[in-house]
Order: sequence, then C-alpha cells, then structure tokens
Amino acid sequence: LAARVLATKVGIAGGAVYVAYDSGLLGGSEQGSEALQKARAAVPPAIEEWMKYFGLQTQLPTIPNIEFSPVQAWNSGVRWSISRLSEAPTKAGEMTTQGVQYVRELLK
Amino acid sequence: MSERELGRKLDRCLADGVIKLGTGLGLGIVFSVLFFKRHTWPISLGSGAGLGMAYSNCQNDLRSHYLLHRNQKVER
Repeated sequence: LAARVLATKVGIAGGAVYVAYDSGLLGGSEQGSEALQKARAAVPPAIEEWMKYFGLQTQLPTIPNIEFSPVQAWNSGVRWSISRLSEAPTKAGEMTTQGVQYVRELLK
Repeated sequence: MSERELGRKLDRCLADGVIKLGTGLGLGIVFSVLFFKRHTWPISLGSGAGLGMAYSNCQNDLRSHYLLHRNQKVER
C-alpha cells in the first residue's frame, strides 16, 4: 500500500514537471512569452465553457478594457517628477520670500 | 542595441520572470504537499530557482546582441 501511494505521488509530481516542461514554461524568454499569450487568449473561452458546464448562463461581466498602460504611466510619472525636481529650487525661493513677507506683515 | 530592441527585450525579461516565478511556485507547492510534509522550503526553493532561470535567460538575451552567432558569416 505504501508503495502504491508513493507511486501515485511520483506520478503526479512527474506529470506536473512534464506539463511545465512541455508547455515551454521552462524554456527561453521567447517560449515563455508565447505561452503567456496563449494562456491569456485561452482564458475567456475556458471560463465560458465552465459556466455552461455548471448551468449558469449568466453573462460574465466583461473585463473592462482598462486604458491604463503601466509603461505610459511610468514614463509620464518619471517626466512629471523630474520636471518638478527641476522647478523645485525656484519654487522654494519664491515660497520663502512669500513666507518672509507674510511674517513681516504679521509683525508690523 | 536600439532603444526599441532594448525595450522589447526587457518586456520579454519581465514576462519570463513572472512565468518562471509562477511555475517554480507551483511546482514547489506540488512537491511540498506530496513529498515534504507541507514544509515551506520547497516552495522557496522552487520560486528562487524560477527567478534564477529568468535572470539567466535575461542575461543571455541581453548579451546575445554583442556576441557573434554561428549563423552569421564572418567576412575575412
């Protein structure tokens, strides 16, 4: 019995490793990104199949096409912060003069 | 290497890293549950190995631009 349990375990583990190897998950960068694209394309039909199987004909809320691109956001974020940094000394000078004026008026 | 090419390579590196981390995590969980009595170390080992594979792939990918490849004819 112990041998059978061990054999099933080895079978499951070996199968998992084989599936990972076969779908190119452990290969080079090209294979990996291909596998990711395939998976992303295959997810909605798979979800539909599962819904039909369970008899739920509800309309799956379509994932809103998010117009947010991390790359664009990052680039614009970098540009914004660097421009703020370059303006910072001037702004700081202005704010100190304003602050000094304000305090002077208070002390009059 | 042009900036566009570099950008594409870095994108591939990131995607590859995510995939290999996930794969390593998954395989680590499988092995931890099946053979190692639900200890944590196979999971960390798997994710670490996945990240290392991704790093090595990325390194080779970025270096390949500066190496001479066999399919390129060498002009004498």
